[in-house]
Amino acid sequence: MTELSFKPTTVDSDIEQTSRPSLSYWQDAFVRLVANKRAIASLVVIVLLLIFAFIAPHVFWTIKHDVQNLDRTSEPPWINRKAMVLPDQDDWQDVHVAAANGEHQAPTALEVVGEPTTSRVRLKWDPVPNAFGYRIYRNIIEPTEDIPLGLSMGVNETGTHVSFEDRLAIRQKPYWYSVVALNEDGTEFEAAKTIYVRPQLAITVSEALELTKAENVQPGDTVSLFWHPLGTDYLGRDMLARLMKGAQVSLTIGIVAPLLFIVLGIIIGSVSGYFGGVVDAGLMRFTDFVIALPFLLFMILFKLLFVPSGDTENWMSKFQEFLGIEGGMLAMVVALVLLSWPGIARLVRGEVLKIREQGYVDASRLLGAPNSWLIGRHMIPNTMGVVLVSFTFAVPATIFTEAFLSFIGMGVVPPTPSWGSMCNDGIRTMEMYPHELLFPALFISITVLAFNLLGDGLRDALDARMRSRE
Amino acid sequence: MVDTVQAPKSSVSTSSVWQLVKYIFLAFTLMLLLLTCLHFVTLGLGIGTESNAAVDFESNSITLNLGSEPPQLNSTRSTDMVSGQILGHVMEGLIRYGPNNEILPGIATSWDISELTGTFYLREDAYWSNGTPVTAHDFVFAWQTAVDPETKSQYAFILYPLKNAEAIKSEIMAVEELGATALNDYTLQVELEQPTPYFIKLLAFFTYLPINREFYESTEGRYGTNAEDLIYNGPFVISKWQHGSRLRLEKNHTYWNKDETRLDAIDFGYILSDPTATINLFATEKIVMAGLQAENIERALANGWPIKEHVDGSVFYLGFNHREERPTSNRNLRKAIQMVCDQEELVFKVLKTPGNRPGESIFPVWLKGVEGFFRDEYPAPKHERNIELAKQYLNNALNELGLSEPPRLMFLTGDSEFSTKHAEYYQNLLKQNLGIEVRIDQQIFQQRLEKMTSGDYDIVAAGWGPDYDDVLTFGDLFTSWNANNRGLFKNDELDQNVQIAQQSSDPRTRMEAMDRVQHILYEEAAIIVEYERGSSYVADDRVQGVTRRAVGTDPDFTRAYLVKPETE
Repeated sequence: MTELSFKPTTVDSDIEQTSRPSLSYWQDAFVRLVANKRAIASLVVIVLLLIFAFIAPHVFWTIKHDVQNLDRTSEPPWINRKAMVLPDQDDWQDVHVAAANGEHQAPTALEVVGEPTTSRVRLKWDPVPNAFGYRIYRNIIEPTEDIPLGLSMGVNETGTHVSFEDRLAIRQKPYWYSVVALNEDGTEFEAAKTIYVRPQLAITVSEALELTKAENVQPGDTVSLFWHPLGTDYLGRDMLARLMKGAQVSLTIGIVAPLLFIVLGIIIGSVSGYFGGVVDAGLMRFTDFVIALPFLLFMILFKLLFVPSGDTENWMSKFQEFLGIEGGMLAMVVALVLLSWPGIARLVRGEVLKIREQGYVDASRLLGAPNSWLIGRHMIPNTMGVVLVSFTFAVPATIFTEAFLSFIGMGVVPPTPSWGSMCNDGIRTMEMYPHELLFPALFISITVLAFNLLGDGLRDALDARMRSRE
Repeated sequence: MVDTVQAPKSSVSTSSVWQLVKYIFLAFTLMLLLLTCLHFVTLGLGIGTESNAAVDFESNSITLNLGSEPPQLNSTRSTDMVSGQILGHVMEGLIRYGPNNEILPGIATSWDISELTGTFYLREDAYWSNGTPVTAHDFVFAWQTAVDPETKSQYAFILYPLKNAEAIKSEIMAVEELGATALNDYTLQVELEQPTPYFIKLLAFFTYLPINREFYESTEGRYGTNAEDLIYNGPFVISKWQHGSRLRLEKNHTYWNKDETRLDAIDFGYILSDPTATINLFATEKIVMAGLQAENIERALANGWPIKEHVDGSVFYLGFNHREERPTSNRNLRKAIQMVCDQEELVFKVLKTPGNRPGESIFPVWLKGVEGFFRDEYPAPKHERNIELAKQYLNNALNELGLSEPPRLMFLTGDSEFSTKHAEYYQNLLKQNLGIEVRIDQQIFQQRLEKMTSGDYDIVAAGWGPDYDDVLTFGDLFTSWNANNRGLFKNDELDQNVQIAQQSSDPRTRMEAMDRVQHILYEEAAIIVEYERGSSYVADDRVQGVTRRAVGTDPDFTRAYLVKPETE
């Protein structure tokens, strides 16, 4: 072996080079999240929802959520909007005629006077001999031998009063009106006269002028009414505007409440885990105590406290005005924050207990780091992963709780809408007007699903133990 | 070793879609399976089969739903309509109402009433369900108990026409001083405080029902709390009372007029207040009668059910808080609110159920006047919405109150879904037209009464049902001495007119005084009458002879009978 056998090697930089750039924990998580299509789709949905709730009402859809239109209640989106224009003053005199002769039991001629519209249907008929009055019925299916005449709309007290004006919540659909003559004691004659009527949507001249901004509208013209893309509710309020306002309520509570209770949970959990001993025991027993408190009961108590009743100028209402939120929302946020933190606190405490035994913590302490530094620099950042995952799962859970509370009437105070309270309103008329239930229910489902799927994706991305398994 | 970063492959997400589909499918299958199992389990256990079908021809009985459970059935302390309905079936007072609301002899066969005294001759064949005879002493005992301050009866005031009743209630006199004495077992003598022309009509009210003293004392304070802690003298007896779920009435065989009772049993098999649940019971033929709310009417029509109407006699109104510290004590503010109200709009577009009549006066249209109906003889004040006038009134009110903007008002109302809708309507109405912010305060009935009593509201949605068939049952509501005048409205002229009506026996004088009352209430805008309630309901047409009425037991099944449908 000679010296020639050895020669200095050249430094081969390629060996040392990593094939990919080194990634920090957060960069790594981000890459994994972006690769998860489900999570990204959910994220897009959530961003759209946020735009829907907070930007759209000011930019795209400026209809007020609490403006009522009692002429257009419970309208589905697909309804015909061609309306006939009626004069402003549209009074009608009762028709009285002389008593009739003959044998007939039912009115021989029953007719609609003028155009039947959703604001009124006017009927006139020929008198029946020996009648002491008439009863007028309305049905939505054709009366036959087995099907009764329907809803009694009113009674005319004399046999010569042969007209009737119906104004009771008329809709654009077929009706069958029947007129029956009455005996002196109020019992009905055997035979009835029935007429088919299909009322047309109508508005008055002044309403039409206001609506179309046109200079001249004549009675008898046809105008197209304003379109409600998602229909209207039981007081004729725009469903889309209400859903937007509801989204504000749901998302605000869904994000603010978890943020607050997570902060509270982190503080209590990290202090408890880091100091250990008496502090830990004390705080954890307190946590157990809070877990044992019944949520609904506290919700009711807070609602009583925060929703001002009677004395309108107390400090509580001023505080709410300052915050710009109403009592029901505040009560929900407070109840959620005060009762939901223990889960996070326990989670953080567990993590902190693990981390504080790590070498780098000892090293830092040996270098003279104070407790606040150790907690702030080492403990909390290292628990961020689990905290973030809990947060994304807490959001849909909170939105759901809010919807549930509003559904049972413990949540927002009317007229503030919330998806839950809208579902509650809609469920009563589910069979007749399904859109009132369908849309808010759809929004709750989509939002909760989106947040859950995003949470799933975040957990996969952040949880280090999951990495090698894929 | 350095961790290798592996980006999840895209195939993971496509397969996860399949996974999701599989999960959803699995979840649905499991749910279906579970529901099927539960269905068979309940069938096997016989849950839900215990209650009979709506009409049972074999046992000659019917099944009904009770809107709420009677808190108790001690007639001296009852206040609610459900208790009134049950008591009307199982008890009988001196008189009773017939099918057409005529006064029929009950326990009393005949009576003489002069200005200040009355003598009632009782039938000797009336027995309690434990066999003891019903005597005049039972009436004296019940009435003394009701006015006894220790009983704390909320309806003691209805006995105030009796001599010394009010003094006894306010602990000035002993209960024995009450103006009712049993001359013998079957003769009852009554002394009145002042001439009370409508006294005979009061006697059908449940506070006037008799109670057997011996039995009452033997229950040691439990009287009226259970089926066993009551004895009955009416057409039916309570055979079973399972609190919270069921109340069964059976024919009383000791009742003197038992031949007129044609049903053998009335089973209140359900105690449910939810209107939709009640309709579902009717749809599945579990009960014979169900009330209809606006949201259920179209369903009833589409099913071709026979719909009936009933005017229950009550009047609904917005009550104002007249306490000085409240903005609503200002007449101009109340007038402003009155002027934006349109009762027809409320009835036709918000309530949406037929039968309701737009309110014009606190006196409903069915009340009798001098000869015909009161409202035909003395028409209500004319009212028409007038926004301009309302704004003028509001400006005057703001000047008087020294405010720069309209005050915020509390609207106290019930906790039902209808109450929400109704309150939201007014919230919008007052805001759009007058700029008045309204806050809605929804409370359960008891809490609402408490808040009304303590004056913790500005506007309250209230209603009043008649206790007896006379104009005064509505007329004296807003007198300064009436405990139900919770808004503390005070008007001397109104008070005087009510006193005239209470004391005069001339119908015309009385009705003229009541006419003044309805005008004062409108002019002062003491209240805003909203509507007279009429309700729609569906009823099984195999049950006949049911009486619905505004005053007294409602619905009344005491003379009901079953009709078999004709088979084709």
